[in-house]
Parts: sequence; structure tokens; C-alpha cells
Amino acid sequence: MTRSLSGRPARADHPTVPSSVPHVGEGSGAPKGESPGAAVGQDRAVPPTTSQLTATGLAARLRAVLVAARPGWRGRALYALASLPLGVLYLGLYLGLIGSVVALVYGVGVLLILLVLAVTRGLAGMERRLARRLLGVDVPEGERVRDQRGVVRKLRRLVLAPDTWRALGWLGARLLFGVATSAAVLFGAALFVVLGWDTEWNPLNALPLLAFMVLDVVLTLAVVDLLVRLSASVAPRLLGTAPEQRIAALQQSTRRLADRNRLARDLHDTIGHALTASLLQATAARRTLTPADDRPLQPDFARQALGHIETNTRTALAELDRVLTVLRAEDGGRDPVPFAAPSLDDLEDLLAGLRDGGLPVELVVDGDVDDVPAGAQELAYRVVQEGTTNVLRHAGTPLTVAQVARSGDTLVVRVCNEPVAQQDGRPGPGGGRGLAGLRERATAAGGTLTAERTPSGGFDLCVTLPLSGAA
Amino acid sequence: MTALRLLLVDDDVLVRSGLRVILESEPDLTVVGDAGTGREALAVAADTDPDVVLMDVRMPDMDGIAATAELVARDPQRPRVLVLTTFEDDDYLFRSLQAGASGFALKRSDLDSLVDAIRVVARGTSLVLPDLTRRLIASHAPSRARGAAALPELTGREADVLRLVAGGLSNAEIATELYLSRETVKTHVSSVLLKLGARDRTQAVIAAYESGFMTG
Repeated sequence: MTRSLSGRPARADHPTVPSSVPHVGEGSGAPKGESPGAAVGQDRAVPPTTSQLTATGLAARLRAVLVAARPGWRGRALYALASLPLGVLYLGLYLGLIGSVVALVYGVGVLLILLVLAVTRGLAGMERRLARRLLGVDVPEGERVRDQRGVVRKLRRLVLAPDTWRALGWLGARLLFGVATSAAVLFGAALFVVLGWDTEWNPLNALPLLAFMVLDVVLTLAVVDLLVRLSASVAPRLLGTAPEQRIAALQQSTRRLADRNRLARDLHDTIGHALTASLLQATAARRTLTPADDRPLQPDFARQALGHIETNTRTALAELDRVLTVLRAEDGGRDPVPFAAPSLDDLEDLLAGLRDGGLPVELVVDGDVDDVPAGAQELAYRVVQEGTTNVLRHAGTPLTVAQVARSGDTLVVRVCNEPVAQQDGRPGPGGGRGLAGLRERATAAGGTLTAERTPSGGFDLCVTLPLSGAA
Repeated sequence: MTALRLLLVDDDVLVRSGLRVILESEPDLTVVGDAGTGREALAVAADTDPDVVLMDVRMPDMDGIAATAELVARDPQRPRVLVLTTFEDDDYLFRSLQAGASGFALKRSDLDSLVDAIRVVARGTSLVLPDLTRRLIASHAPSRARGAAALPELTGREADVLRLVAGGLSNAEIATELYLSRETVKTHVSSVLLKLGARDRTQAVIAAYESGFMTG
């Protein structure tokens, strides 16, 4: 006795379960018949033997069973058992939905419907976990309404997402499965009682009757098991994500990645570059102020370098500001698919920053530019940004005009400045690095870029873009 | 000692003017010219005959990689090219090494290491940023075959030397490691470069990895 007990310590948890029953169920690789029966027997057998019949004890016990449950016959048995109370719950939900539709007529049903739909989504989440845990079915997580930003968006997704309606369908299916399961169990139990108690037993019919009773139990359990397996095959279709949703999610993440890359490239080209140039200028300035051996001090170079550093840092900060605005918009949920590219609307901000920096610059917009494609808007922004930065860098703070004009299918962007008051710095032919890049982009968009000195001694940067081809 | 002649190539005038002042303050360096594009760099290099070209990578009108390749095609021995980069963009850096650059340095590196890198490139007795360079080459070089068989016959000694060169050791370090004189090491390195058809150590390391002589 002691030997057999110690030989199977695991069984000590369920002392009342006839050791032969779970053995059959386990050993035969969970055949349809016996397996759920074992669990049912086990559940029924628990209360009388446990000395603590308290509700908490029972709850703890149930929880332990749930936690221990793995996909397998135990899981399926629990799933079948759960479908009875859940079926009732879902029936209530359906009645609630019908009730709220009726209430809609009286104008108070909207909130009720939303509530019912929210509960439906929540229950679908629970069902997903149940199916995963007890049936071992791989149900992909759908989109979560809770993760959406903003109440309006949440509500819109709640009502419009196909997930909601498929979830509702699933709960209906579960309701039907529950009904079928109860019907099977009730019918099986009734037959069992009729055979066992309403029949005259005598030595002649005892054996066949007993056989019929066993057959009844086996058949009932087989039907229940079949229903559970049916649920398992339907669950992923109604609870999982639809292919088109997955594709959309993939596309969105690809787009985000592209946006990120573009943002990274922008940062590299603007802030990274400005900081590098500033660093070298600062290093050089320090060298000229503390020259080695017998070299002369070069305060002029140092003064000029400080001016360049000032300009570079200012434009870098403006760019940083823009990037951070984009990132914050992304985090704050104001724009679900943030486009990192700046638009014509951002020009005023850009120029305001430059005015703070001492550059007297005016923005002139002619024609209807609202429906200019985003790509062209960004390029136009870059033209103004590069042009004004170059003015600051090479000419100081002369009077400057930025102009965006549309006529028909052509967009002209122009930055020109008055002659430089005092000749400081050396105006590089062709301007900074950005100008070459701009020319490439303008050409790629089918446009042209000209950058030249004006007869009066100022500078004129002009980009012409065709709008039909640009996007 | 004659000063090293430098050519600065960068499309940003501020980077060029900053670098010029910084480098000119070193007694053994002199900046003989600067250029804003790759094409301009080729012309200025022909005029000024620099020892080392400090080359930016991304430039309009011929980038630094193409300009490096062109310089090397003109004369494999002069000038050496040191690529200057804003950020460590692996792909660009490896491509510039493949094009024939002798090494690379970050624009943000402090003055001493930048000047060191220039001297190292000019002397050719060691790799610039040995660890970084080796890792870059090892991870990018497409390894075709395994084993030293793919390399033209190196003597046992030369194979040892190449392995240490690829490990980033300088001539002096190799001499200590192999108990040889520096002169002997120099001779071995020269004959390795000759057999591999490599213009400098960096190219030899690339060849060592690409042939499968070095792995990982």
C-alpha cells in the first residue's frame, strides 16, 4: 500500500478518483469517449472527499484545476463544462443587444448597444484565452480597441471593425454549442436514468441493460467531445484576425518604418551635418586663439567661426523642433500615420524661427497651394529652408523674400535676398551641401533649379516643379 | 622632415575651412588644396600632388567613393585616401575601403586621433582604427573560399605576417610578436602586398578576408 502510494505521488492530489478511470483516459491517448467522463467524475467526486467544503476552498481548487489544465482531454472537458454557463451568459448578451436595438426606437439604445458591443469584445478576448489555454488552438490576437487613441476612434473601431461582428458571431456559435452540449448531456442522463431505474431488472436482461448504459455514457461523451473539437476548428476563424487586417497592419508598419528611415536621414543631413560643421569650426576657432609655437592669433577667423556656429546651431535647433513635433504627434495620437515630411503649412514656423535669429524674411504665397501634393510641398519647404539658411550662412542678415507661387500645374518656389551689407564670409559658389541634394530632388521630380547671383549683388534660388508628375 | 601635403575634399565650406585651420596648426602637416566635389578633387589632386586626400563620402557631382576609385586607378601609390565621415555608416565605409581608401576617420574624432590617422595612412605601417576596420571588413567581405589555398603562394612566414596585419598589428608589434627585426617585417609585408596585388595593408586585409584566408 505504501509502496503503491509512493509509486504514484501525483495521484495523491485526487484520492477519490478511481485510479483506473484516468488511467484509461490518459493511456489511450484521450479517446473521445472516456476522457471527458473522467474529468466530470473527478469534478463531482471532489466535494464529498475534501473536508473543506467552503466556497473559497472550492474556488481555489477550481482555479488550481484551471491553471493545471493543458490542451488535452482535461482541457476539452473543462471547455465543454464552461460552455454551459457561458452559453447562458451569451444568451443574455444577445437579448441585451436585441433589447437595445428595440430601445433605439425610443432613442436611448445607442449607449446600450455600445455597452453590449464593448462587453462582446471583452468576452471575445476571454474566449480567445480559453481556446488557447484549454484547446491549444493558436488564435492570433486581434486589434485591441483599448489600444486605439481617443474616445471617438475607440468607438468607431468598436462599431465598425469586422472583429466586433465576428466576435458576436462567435459568441452566438458558442451559445449554440452550449445548447447542443446541454441537450446531449440531458438526453444521455435521461436515458441513463430510464435504463437504470425505470426498467425491471432481471438476470436475463441485466447484462444487455448494463451494456446499453455504458454505451449511453460513451456516446454522450463522444458527442460532447465532437462539439468541443468543432469549436476548436471554428475559433481561429471567428476570433482571429482577418487576412486583410494583417495585410493592413503590415502595410502600416512598413510605412512607419519608411517614415522613420526618412526621419533618420533628415536628422543625419540636417542636425548631424550642422553639428559636425559647428564642431570643426569651434575646434578651429580655439586653435586660432591659442596658437601653437610662433603662429599668429587669428581673431578674425575666430569671430567668423562663432558666427557660423551660431547660424548652424540655430537651424539645427529649428530642425530638431520640427522633428520632435512630428515624434510627439505620433506619440500623442494626433495623427495615426504621421508623415515626417514638412509641408507648406510649416513654412510660417520655419520663418518665424529665422526672424528670431535676426533675418528679416517675408513669405509670399500666390495661388491655390492647398491641394499641392505632399511630395511637392515637402520639396518646396526644403527649398525655402535651404535658401534661407544659405542666406544666413553666406550673407548675414539681408532683407530676404521667400515666395511660393502656383499657376496651373506649375509650382515656383523662390528665395532671394538683397545684396549683402558688409562682405563677411566667403559666399561659396553653389551654396551648401543641401543645394546639390535639392537639385537632384528637383530634377527627379521633373523640375529645375537655378541658383545665381542677381545683378544687384543679391542671391536668387529658384525651383520650378511640375505638379502633374509630382506626388 | 618635410610636411605631409594634404588635400581636403568636402562639400561644406565650413567643414573645409575648419579642417584647414585645425590641420595647418600641426607643424608637420600642410594643406595644399581643397575641393567641394569629387570631380573638383580629381582636378586639384592632379595639380597639387598631395600625399593624403581627406575625402568626404557624400558629395554632389561624383561622391567620395567614385573619386577614390578614380584616384587609385590613376596612380596606385599616390595619394593615399583617408575617408572622412560624419557617421559610421558601415555600408559607405566598406565601399570606400573597397574602392581603395586606406582608412577612415570620423569628422567628430578629436584632433589628435585625426592627425594620427593622417600620419598612419601616409606611413602605411599600420591600419587606421584597427579594430573597427577589421570588424568592418570581416562582416562585409564576401568570403568565397576557405583556407589559404585561395591566396597566391605565401611562405609560412608571410602567412604569419598577413595574419597579424589582418589582426590590426603595426610593424613594430609584429616584430615583437614574431621575434624579427622591424626591417625584416617590413620586407615580409612588402612581399605580401606584392603577391596579393594590394596597394596597402587595408587592401591586403580585404583580400585576406575575401579569399577566406581570414575568417570571422
